Amino acid sequence: MDNLILVVILPLLAAFLMPAMARTSEVLARVTGLMVLFISIIIITSVWGSVDEQAVSYAIGGFRPPMGIVFYIDQLSLLFALLIPVMILLFWPWNKVTHIREYSLMMLLTASASGLVLSGDLFNIYVFYELLAVASYGLVVAQGRAGKKGEGAALAASLRYLILGAVGSVMMLIGIAIIYTQAGTLNLAHLALLAPEKLNNMAGLSAFALILIGVGVKAELFPVNTWVPEVYGAVSTRLSALMAGLLSKLAVIVIIRVLVLLFPQPEALQLMTILGMLGVISGELVAWRSRDMIRMLSFSSIGQLGLVFVAFSIPGDMGLMAGFAVALHHLLVKPALFMLASGWTGPLESLKGAAKQSPYIAALFVLLVMSLLGVPPLPGFWAKLLIVVNLASQAAPVYQFALAFVLIATVIEAAYLYRVVMILYHPNQGQQASVREKHKAFELVIASGAAVILIAVALQVQSMETKLSSMARQTGDRQHYINTVFSKLDLADIYHQNKVQQTDFRSNNQLQGSK
Amino acid sequence: MASFNSISELLAQLLFMPMLAFLLGLVMVLMYRKIAARLQRRIGPPFFQPVYDIVKLYSKDTQISHGLIHDIGIVVAVGGYVAAVILLPVPGMDGIADKGGIITLSYFLMIPSLGMALGVGQCANPNGSIGISRALTAMLAYDIPFIIVVFGVALHYQSTSLVGMIDYQQAHQWGIFEMPLLAAAGLFALQGMMGKHPFEIYVAPAEIATGPMVEMSGKFMGGLFVMQSFQFYVASVLYTSLFLGGGANWFEFLLKIFFVVEIPMSISFLFPRYRTEDMVRIMWKWPVMLALIGIAFVI
Amino acid sequence: MSVLDEVFILCALGALVLFVFHRIRGIEKLAVVFYAALLYLLIKMSGLGYGGEVIYSSFSLNILGETLQWRFDAVSWFFAIITVASGLFSAVFMSGKWGESYREKTSNAAYGTLQIALLLNVNSMLILLASGDLLSLFIGWELVSWASFMMMALNPDKQARQAAIKYIVYAMAGAMAFLAAMAYVYGITGSLQYAELAQASAALSNGQIILLSLLFFTGFAIKMGLIPFHLWQAVAYAETPAPGAVFLGAISARMGLYAIIVVLIQLIGLGHLQQIHIPFTFWNLQTVLAWVGALTTIIPTYIALKQNDARHLLAWHGVGQGGYMLLGLMTLNSLGSAGGLLHVFNYATYQAALFMTIGAVIYRTGTANFDKLGGLVTQMPLTFMVMVFSIIGLAGLPPMNGFVSKWMVYRSLLLDGEPLLFVAAVIGTLGTILSVYKLVHNTFLGQLRVEHQNVREAPLSLLIPMLVLAAIMFVTGMMPGLVLDWVASAQLAMGLVPVTYNLGGIVLASGGLDMIWITLILFYGLGVGAIIFYLLGGRAKRVHQYDNYAGGHFLTSRVRYHYSHNFYAGLMHLIGGWYRGSFKKLEQAIVSLVSLLSQLSENMYRSAQPAMMVIIVVVLSLWSISGGIN
Repeated sequence: MDNLILVVILPLLAAFLMPAMARTSEVLARVTGLMVLFISIIIITSVWGSVDEQAVSYAIGGFRPPMGIVFYIDQLSLLFALLIPVMILLFWPWNKVTHIREYSLMMLLTASASGLVLSGDLFNIYVFYELLAVASYGLVVAQGRAGKKGEGAALAASLRYLILGAVGSVMMLIGIAIIYTQAGTLNLAHLALLAPEKLNNMAGLSAFALILIGVGVKAELFPVNTWVPEVYGAVSTRLSALMAGLLSKLAVIVIIRVLVLLFPQPEALQLMTILGMLGVISGELVAWRSRDMIRMLSFSSIGQLGLVFVAFSIPGDMGLMAGFAVALHHLLVKPALFMLASGWTGPLESLKGAAKQSPYIAALFVLLVMSLLGVPPLPGFWAKLLIVVNLASQAAPVYQFALAFVLIATVIEAAYLYRVVMILYHPNQGQQASVREKHKAFELVIASGAAVILIAVALQVQSMETKLSSMARQTGDRQHYINTVFSKLDLADIYHQNKVQQTDFRSNNQLQGSK
Repeated sequence: MASFNSISELLAQLLFMPMLAFLLGLVMVLMYRKIAARLQRRIGPPFFQPVYDIVKLYSKDTQISHGLIHDIGIVVAVGGYVAAVILLPVPGMDGIADKGGIITLSYFLMIPSLGMALGVGQCANPNGSIGISRALTAMLAYDIPFIIVVFGVALHYQSTSLVGMIDYQQAHQWGIFEMPLLAAAGLFALQGMMGKHPFEIYVAPAEIATGPMVEMSGKFMGGLFVMQSFQFYVASVLYTSLFLGGGANWFEFLLKIFFVVEIPMSISFLFPRYRTEDMVRIMWKWPVMLALIGIAFVI
Repeated sequence: MSVLDEVFILCALGALVLFVFHRIRGIEKLAVVFYAALLYLLIKMSGLGYGGEVIYSSFSLNILGETLQWRFDAVSWFFAIITVASGLFSAVFMSGKWGESYREKTSNAAYGTLQIALLLNVNSMLILLASGDLLSLFIGWELVSWASFMMMALNPDKQARQAAIKYIVYAMAGAMAFLAAMAYVYGITGSLQYAELAQASAALSNGQIILLSLLFFTGFAIKMGLIPFHLWQAVAYAETPAPGAVFLGAISARMGLYAIIVVLIQLIGLGHLQQIHIPFTFWNLQTVLAWVGALTTIIPTYIALKQNDARHLLAWHGVGQGGYMLLGLMTLNSLGSAGGLLHVFNYATYQAALFMTIGAVIYRTGTANFDKLGGLVTQMPLTFMVMVFSIIGLAGLPPMNGFVSKWMVYRSLLLDGEPLLFVAAVIGTLGTILSVYKLVHNTFLGQLRVEHQNVREAPLSLLIPMLVLAAIMFVTGMMPGLVLDWVASAQLAMGLVPVTYNLGGIVLASGGLDMIWITLILFYGLGVGAIIFYLLGGRAKRVHQYDNYAGGHFLTSRVRYHYSHNFYAGLMHLIGGWYRGSFKKLEQAIVSLVSLLSQLSENMYRSAQPAMMVIIVVVLSLWSISGGIN
């Protein structure tokens, strides 16, 4: 368990060393990167399953929390710690032309992302988040320069991304600052302990709003997601897949952690519901207008992320479970769709009859799209069912609105996705059938892999359900987090320091239990 | 129908009821022409003229058939009425009226029209087809008030059985006194149903070349003539059964049916012809309104 | 292992085999065997049709704390036997010459895909019919929708493709309404089991019942094409390749009726619907649904009257006939609901036969356009005969089976004393008579076109299913008791009082129906008519169609002497103005609204000042959190 820190440190080292190594041998540098990723995967798989019952916290440098830096490892963070190197590996630029700078940025991305999901205090989260942001700006700019569109468009997209990202970071920082002034600590467990007393007020809520919107930039939260279509349109589909699939989810996880541990207030949840449902409807509406596959998928991604937010905003473990289901499903399907779209660029009309040319790819597309829409018995259906059922059982009217929005958005989604399917299966060949780009092998492998996983999950939906619900339970259990990070001794200290009475703590406990 | 007696009785009815209907129908045709003649200050045809007409038509040399469906159309037009009259009770003979009732009978009455329509259709003459398109439109026109009337009557008697209705009326009071509005609407619909003036554009007997009869020669025309006499009979007996208490005996029965059929016949020569759409309009307006008000009273 | 398990295993096996070998010639024979085997298994379950016990599948699934299970009761069995029989007839229809020509026109693979689509449709419907709780019902529902979509998308024509897209949007909207209803049920009862809902529905408030019924009904009504959701169905069904149209037309839309029976009648309960009064009116919920049925009989029927393509005309009638079924069910009494159910069976027989005759006409002439047909009766007499039988059924005239079920609906409306509904139903029937005559006249009667002089009768593989269907129509028309057995069992399973019947029809003190007698009398009458016509008088001479009265002109093959366009000109002169396309405009308005909103959203995403936006949003959020919303 101790060597989990290598998952962060090794890629970070590699990121800095690779440019230097490349001076002697480019091959060596690339192999190093790959090795690091493999090692990360091995490390994580070796501890896989060990946190199913009890999460583990790990104080770095030996300082006891709340002073020291803490890694918190539960099912959620472990899952993402695994997913990060796997996804990076999948979308690794397997070629010689890519500049070493990009490999290095990919490693930086890996390191910061892993750090983000494992960190147990807000400050570290902020640091890793910024690193992640820098890495992604770098990638977008690097890609944008080599992008297919005109350089100007790519540059404008990167600039917009940069500006929004920067504003977002500032918001997040302000939010964290407010929290610190209120509670005097940034350790998540400590905050969780203090939150009912210190953060359950206007200042706390505004801190949450700022963090939500700040992090929301990466998480494609409405309305700070205006960079999404342009950036995805400008960079390679490989990177769009990575950003839409993985990076957005990492940002979501930050929000979830903060939400669960610090802000269980209904106002916070409902703010997220409103932004989420606006995201769902606006994303799907614009996707309906889009006449270009990548742009359509980008807006669909905005819609799906909106759905993720709506799901997570449902109070209780069921909401978390629904959120995980949708988020993971999107993480699986959207990159695969982006992969398929990379061979189908240009206006949709030019794709007429593409299915005749490549029937297998078209079939894959249909399968993925059907799961995205939530057609039973594919996994997307169960995810959507979870959301819908849980939304309906909420009393607050905003959830009923959200339910209506989600359902209407699904209809719109069906309209445009099936328009594409009909174009693909058009009896006439399009004009540019011959000049159309071919799909690369790795794109097909990824998409097929996603399809296989989809079918496997559809067949194993019962065991997936137990997994998800156990993950949701663990993530949603605030006391579990606190108890994991602090030993009994620590807790006594803290109570002493903060002069919090034992009885208060109990009453907080009850409060939590009744939620 | 268990006993031999009732079976033999039914067989007799199967034979007699259509025959009776045919003969009475012929007399009604004669009456129709006589009324027309008297209104126009003519003497009118002799008593056996309808029979002469049928014999003449059947024995013509030129008998043009356009195919099997053309023949079958005439067969259905006549046969449908033959079957329908067996569902209509007359004094002493109920036929199989208890097996169907008024709804079945109303639908039976559409079979001859459909048969004729099929027959005319095969003639491959657009004039005939136009006639049929008008005829079916006319059917749509008069059947809606007619069916409302039927509904109201059945609702009033709480039965769809014609026998039951007649029994009720003979025991209590005639329908026309209990449901005057429905009876009036029914009379209106009857006018359309008989295909006589002022609603005779679809038959267009005066312009034979541009109506459904355009390709009907010899016994085809004769078949339609037979059908016409059945039509008079069915309309009058049906109305009598619904509103005038049927017939307790033959004398009363004959009196009533001839009285009933006399009314539309007299009206028919007083008005000029309506165009098809005008017929639809008038049929959907006045009789429907009357009938609906009548139903409101029944409920 | 129960028989139901065998059915599912057979379905899975059939799908697998067909999927693997769909390109191979001769697969069509295998498909026929498959449907026959399926029918055999259903017949093994026929105890259900005569009051047998519910048959459960031994397979079940536990998920989200719900148990998904599958079972067959009398209602499911009744619908299933129609489904599988329709599948069998379609498969036979496409197994011979029709299939060969389709192969030639397209490819082996395309033909195989058509077979797969048919099989998936049958299978998914069986899954739907077997569902034992709301969740499995929804799953079956979605499967049916996608299978139908696949079938519709097979026609490469532009119109067909647009119809398919339209269908999928409608179907999705329906599914989402269903899903919302289901979610509310879950929110209220915490379960998706039928039993729980049935129990809970007794305690629900009126508002909840209205909301639930509305959502469920919207979902089901879209599938059935009821007013105001009738726009998608006709074009989509009509443009499907002939065997697909046969199948979809015969049974597919009736899945909506099945769901209405299961949810609204069995679970929420008709008595419940009747108690709920719509504010400010005299109506209760059941009356509203009955009126939906009545309007559905009228509006689509009169749209059918205006169609100029045989397939479209029939498909529009299919929509209209659904109204009779709903109307019958919503009368609440045993006679009417039996009539509604019986109409499902009867309608399936004649609608399948009608689509087959049109399929045969298209097979021989290549078109179903009324302006390009006419006079085919001399060339295709048997096909013509089947069509006449079927249109008599469709129009609801004796002696075909369509008459019996319509009679039952009328009679029950009479018993209930519902004059306006009755009149509405009759208006629908009269419109049907007009439009079926147009159908048969414009295809088979009138002048034969020159290019059709050499058209021959439809091949045997097309004729056999048609003739068998015609025979079924006639036999079940004469002896409706054969089917009423099943209907009565289904009524029992629905919790209604079964209808009293005998072999010949309905037993009712105040005027019943005995079709055996009526049929015999009709044939007696026709016999007399034939005697009068054939034995008396001179011999008729057959003449050529050009030997015709034309006001002194001579007719030749160059003169088109035929009336088919704008067939009911006089009527249209009067009612033509009533076709305002209001529903179409409504549909367009919704699309425009979505388009407008979409444009607004896009403008937002294109805004040049993203940073400003962030700040605005932050301010707004803070404002809302600080109690601005409240």
